[in-house]
Amino acid sequence: MAKAREKQLSQMVSELGLDKQNGGAIGRLLNHGGLAHAEEGSDGRMKIQIRIPEDELTYSPSITVMPHAGELEIEFFNDDTNTHCAQVPSNGDYQWIWLPNHSTGKVTVQLDGPGYYWYSSNVGNDEGRGLMGAIVVMGEVPEEARLDRPAQPRP
Amino acid sequence: MTQEYIDAPSPVSLGNLSTTTGDAPPVAKDLTYERILDARSEPHNWITYYGAYDGQRYSPLDQINTENVKRLTPAFVFQSGSQGLHAGPSTYSFEAAPLVVDGVMFVSGWDGFVWALDAKTGQSLWQYKHAIPFDTSLCCGNVNRGVAVAQGKVFVATLNAHIIALDAENGEKIWDTVHGDVRAGESATVAPLVVKDTVIVGSSGGEFGVRGHLDAYNIETGERVWRCYMVPKPGEPGSETWPDDGETWQRGGGNCWVTGTYDPELNLLYWGTGNPAPDFDGEVRPGDNLYTDSVVAVNPDNGEKVWHYQFTPHDLWDYDSNMESILFEKDGRKLLGHFDKNGYFFILDRTNGELVSVTPFVDRINWGEIDSDGKVTPSIYPEKEGEEVHFYPGPAGGKEWTHAAFSPRTEMFYCPVQDTGSTIARRRREFKEGMPYWGAHVIVDSEDMKGSVSAFNTDGEEAWRWETEMPMCASVLATAGDLVFAGEPSGYLNALDARTGEHLWKFQCGSGHHSSPTTYSIDGRQYIAVPVGWGAWVEGFLPGMMGGPHGSGIFVFALPEE
Repeated sequence: MAKAREKQLSQMVSELGLDKQNGGAIGRLLNHGGLAHAEEGSDGRMKIQIRIPEDELTYSPSITVMPHAGELEIEFFNDDTNTHCAQVPSNGDYQWIWLPNHSTGKVTVQLDGPGYYWYSSNVGNDEGRGLMGAIVVMGEVPEEARLDRPAQPRP
Repeated sequence: MTQEYIDAPSPVSLGNLSTTTGDAPPVAKDLTYERILDARSEPHNWITYYGAYDGQRYSPLDQINTENVKRLTPAFVFQSGSQGLHAGPSTYSFEAAPLVVDGVMFVSGWDGFVWALDAKTGQSLWQYKHAIPFDTSLCCGNVNRGVAVAQGKVFVATLNAHIIALDAENGEKIWDTVHGDVRAGESATVAPLVVKDTVIVGSSGGEFGVRGHLDAYNIETGERVWRCYMVPKPGEPGSETWPDDGETWQRGGGNCWVTGTYDPELNLLYWGTGNPAPDFDGEVRPGDNLYTDSVVAVNPDNGEKVWHYQFTPHDLWDYDSNMESILFEKDGRKLLGHFDKNGYFFILDRTNGELVSVTPFVDRINWGEIDSDGKVTPSIYPEKEGEEVHFYPGPAGGKEWTHAAFSPRTEMFYCPVQDTGSTIARRRREFKEGMPYWGAHVIVDSEDMKGSVSAFNTDGEEAWRWETEMPMCASVLATAGDLVFAGEPSGYLNALDARTGEHLWKFQCGSGHHSSPTTYSIDGRQYIAVPVGWGAWVEGFLPGMMGGPHGSGIFVFALPEE
């Protein structure tokens, strides 16, 4: 059902001409940039590669999924012919990296709990044109931090 | 031809791309529990949330006084703003109380920010930014009310319910303990309180049907020492005030989301608790619903409840009682003053919770009546499904979480008053974890409102009031200069004569006030510091100012240097 809805949304956005730069105000939506799971090493450290394809102004994948909280190493590749950057939330402070044309660089961030976190290229109006991504941390908080009560219904 | 990638420059922490120096002097290294106990003996500092354990928000500093306050002028402004998308971008607010230790200001902001500043110049010394999930359940905005400082560490509760200890010299994290469950709708916005060798922290999330609790953590290790739930399990004391359906207590609210006060002689914490959940649908939780809407006296050594007083039994109006309990003495009696959201000013004997007096402090109260014996008689409340009722005060209360002050010089309390109503109808819903659990629709009045700073003597009688067009939504500060400082939603910071209420000075800060001003001195010069940044749960306390400008600055004032 979810895949069908996504396909339908993609089709509608395409028909409206909103799935390409200069085709409309929205540019490429997050859910058009794809989703990928971070790979977890034996040390528990997670890794992902994220690219900025030429003339698309999107991070690909634009949604990175971490199986649990912890350390994530992101290897960025800027395949575009313009300079961008990435500002990624991390405990302590945002981690910020220049990404000149056709460059690559690694950013390591610490995310400590379930939920999703935005990151973006905060130069020019890259964010407005689609250069935003999300990191989704799956899982639950540690058992000792949960409320002393039986399991509750969830949406 | 295959093009090779060039190496991008190394990533940096964003704060490094600023004038932040990275280091603060070791002023907090020798900040012990004994010093916090005797905070008033070092009036140049503001070393704990209310300035001292008694919650009076009073400073013995008197350089700025009724004669010269008209010459008060900005000394510096610290501005932060925000970067990128963050949790609750439309509802963030700057609500903290800045602490100052020997010339260094420690203060927290929205979305996980903590700063150390040179309190004389505003120079940023270090910055810590906790990563906050965008989808954190926040009933009342992206806010934080401040930090605690002791033993070389800065303690802060994060929105995603972690308690962290930072090195006060460089902002680096020392320990990090998970305090609550964001999946269950828990969060944290409280300023921690250091007592002995523990840091005391309360939970947030009552609007999501959680089970409120107060916790203590070892300040060296972050290990949890005790947890005190404010909604009892079946069989525990107070459980007889909840239905015996086996479920309601699990979602009962009663969160401890504002800092409590402490009497070291009695060795008791006085901690306010929030409303029961669901807020407005009382039919699903018959009974008094202890220990919601109460002040609970807690033993800080083991988390045991010693006594309690419930201000609004079986709350149907969202009248949390988290507001401060101000400790004072009269005729040798140890007392506690509390302005409740239900519109009444309570004075209790803090040794045992006995009611001494109860008097209304806001003009319009029609939700019910509390007589001189403390008996509560409800009259208007959302009873029938879908049927709207209108009552005063609205769910923001006659006073919000923001704090009153007490001056031992004038022996008067100074209360920021909100006088506005609300239309509410019961709308039952099924409980689901992490989802808002109000049981009603709510429309807060955006016209026909007013406010005041009102002064009361220790018998609960009104001495004077300074009236305002809009409700007062910021904490007040009393000083030995016989001044009361109070910020308005309009952006004005005001100084009033503490004895008469005469308006003596104002300054337009450019954004509404919803924080807790503090005062301190450096090299003999007194400063008034006020975080300014309008926002948070504005739809609940002042929707008429929903479009007011957001700010993100700390304004610091002083008399001109000669």
